[in-house]
Amino acid sequence: MKLLSYIVFILIGASCSSDKEDYVPIENATLEFKVPANFPEPSYNVSLNPPTEKGFELGKKLFYDGRLSSDGVISCGFCHIQDFAFTHHTHIVSHGVGGALGTRNAQPLHNMAFMKEFTWDGAARHLDLQPIIPITAEVEMNETFSGIITKLENQPEYVKLFSEAFEDQKINPDNILKALSQFMLMMISANTKYDKIERNEGSVFTQEEAAGFALFNSKCASCHQGTLFTDQSYRNNGLPVDPQYNDIGRNRVTGLAEDLYKFKVPSLRNIELTFPYMHDGRLKTLNDVLDHYSDGMVDSETLDPLFKSQNGSLGIPMSAEEKVQIIAFLKTLTDDDFLNDDRFSEF
Amino acid sequence: MKRIAYTLLATLIIVLSCKNDDGGTPEPTFGTVALDFKNTINANGIELGTDSYTNASNEVYTISELKYIISNIVLIKANGEEFVYPVDEGYFLINEEVVTSKKISLADINAGEYTKIKFGFGVDQSKYPLNGMTNFIPTAEESGMLWSWSAGYKFIKFEGSYTVNGGTATDFLIHVGSHGTTLDNYKEITIDLPTALKIEESTSPEVAINVDIAKIFDGVNTHSLVTKSDIQVDPVNAPRIAENIATMFTATSVSN
Repeated sequence: MKLLSYIVFILIGASCSSDKEDYVPIENATLEFKVPANFPEPSYNVSLNPPTEKGFELGKKLFYDGRLSSDGVISCGFCHIQDFAFTHHTHIVSHGVGGALGTRNAQPLHNMAFMKEFTWDGAARHLDLQPIIPITAEVEMNETFSGIITKLENQPEYVKLFSEAFEDQKINPDNILKALSQFMLMMISANTKYDKIERNEGSVFTQEEAAGFALFNSKCASCHQGTLFTDQSYRNNGLPVDPQYNDIGRNRVTGLAEDLYKFKVPSLRNIELTFPYMHDGRLKTLNDVLDHYSDGMVDSETLDPLFKSQNGSLGIPMSAEEKVQIIAFLKTLTDDDFLNDDRFSEF
Repeated sequence: MKRIAYTLLATLIIVLSCKNDDGGTPEPTFGTVALDFKNTINANGIELGTDSYTNASNEVYTISELKYIISNIVLIKANGEEFVYPVDEGYFLINEEVVTSKKISLADINAGEYTKIKFGFGVDQSKYPLNGMTNFIPTAEESGMLWSWSAGYKFIKFEGSYTVNGGTATDFLIHVGSHGTTLDNYKEITIDLPTALKIEESTSPEVAINVDIAKIFDGVNTHSLVTKSDIQVDPVNAPRIAENIATMFTATSVSN
């Protein structure tokens, strides 16, 4: 009699079980994505891919894993080194598998959640799509997504992480890219001296920095706008075309003649560390950059009209002293907390 | 013993009751359909590499490669009611070279009578993030449909060679996709079915779709290869070709 009752109970239990009840929720806390008080609203719709503990961990692991490249060596982190605001320190153009050289300088990674388009020419219109470019480019990671998936499926730790990070538990391109985005979304750099002044947290500019800030506002801020220090537009800033690359810039994406030689206005945060400068890394120091803007520009059909004055001269007039002051200000955009943040470190 | 019988009866009721959450409303039924794409010129199936065709600009061309992406399939009833095929499973590559790729099999479609089919040419990136849009990458990679540097898909890859007045053959290459955020060459195409498509649980209906490849050159716009034979990220010609492509699909028959 008692046995029969047990059977009945088991029957009841089994009959009502559904997939939902079989699903054992995994501890995967949502991470707090906090917009700094002095920042605009993010461009990325974070609610569609909210960073979680496991998703972030997976994204970080992928970011630093050479398996994402064909030779097993070149990871995302190979060209994006944290100490230099995730740029390829001293490398003029990025280096890829088998010693291949790219044609452009690796851009810093920070505040990606606030950017509308990605890469120097805006080829990627969404953060989730950006990694497709370096992963599949022959001169960068030279890998295919099918290749990556096969490699990851053979790693029990990845199988586990994917199953913990995503509800469908699958190792597929969608989840690979979402995990990488979760890692990059959390990479917010907003704790510079400049930020602390902008948020009234007690810091003050030195006299030189204050003078530099005033000059910056009158000479640079029309393009390097707002707290992100970019208006996210594409402009030709008068660099002579390097015949070695003949990089046509934004024109490669749109095919429009008006976009020839235009590149995205970069953010200037952590600019002290992201040398060398410009899309092809041709300028070594901040002083070289300012010299270019004051005296080095060449005219062309698409040169930004902002650089042309009525008397026909090109560039932004700056004295040697003014340059020193502007550079002093630019150095207030260095975020040591971000550069040393363990959450983003490889080891 | 009577008690056991009651208990068993109660159990049986519980078991049965747990089977259907709706309790009362009839279970919806589902069926399948296959969309059979036939790439033709002058109503004949195209032959890669061998046959030659003449366009309205009197250019004689042969085709070496023809691939395009079909996505976002929607079946529409006479009353306008739509069945949207799951977007994350809804990207297909039609490759002239691969016979199986030309028949798209759709499953788990709500039973009913449909009179129109709507689908996309290419991938609609403007509505990103679409679930699973990037899961199409491996297929696109394999068939060279990924524009690696632009993080997007080539919607069509149409290549071959052409001659004018019996002269020497010149290669042509037409790759159309979207150009960043500045130009979206994705096209939504709605075609009428000649007879109603009946989706039922036990049948496997097919819809034959004729794809008039000649329209790539001669549709609403006329494109001459002499004018431009290499179209990649071409803000003038790519949208004109995409407009032509939007007119090349017709449903020729429905077999229920």
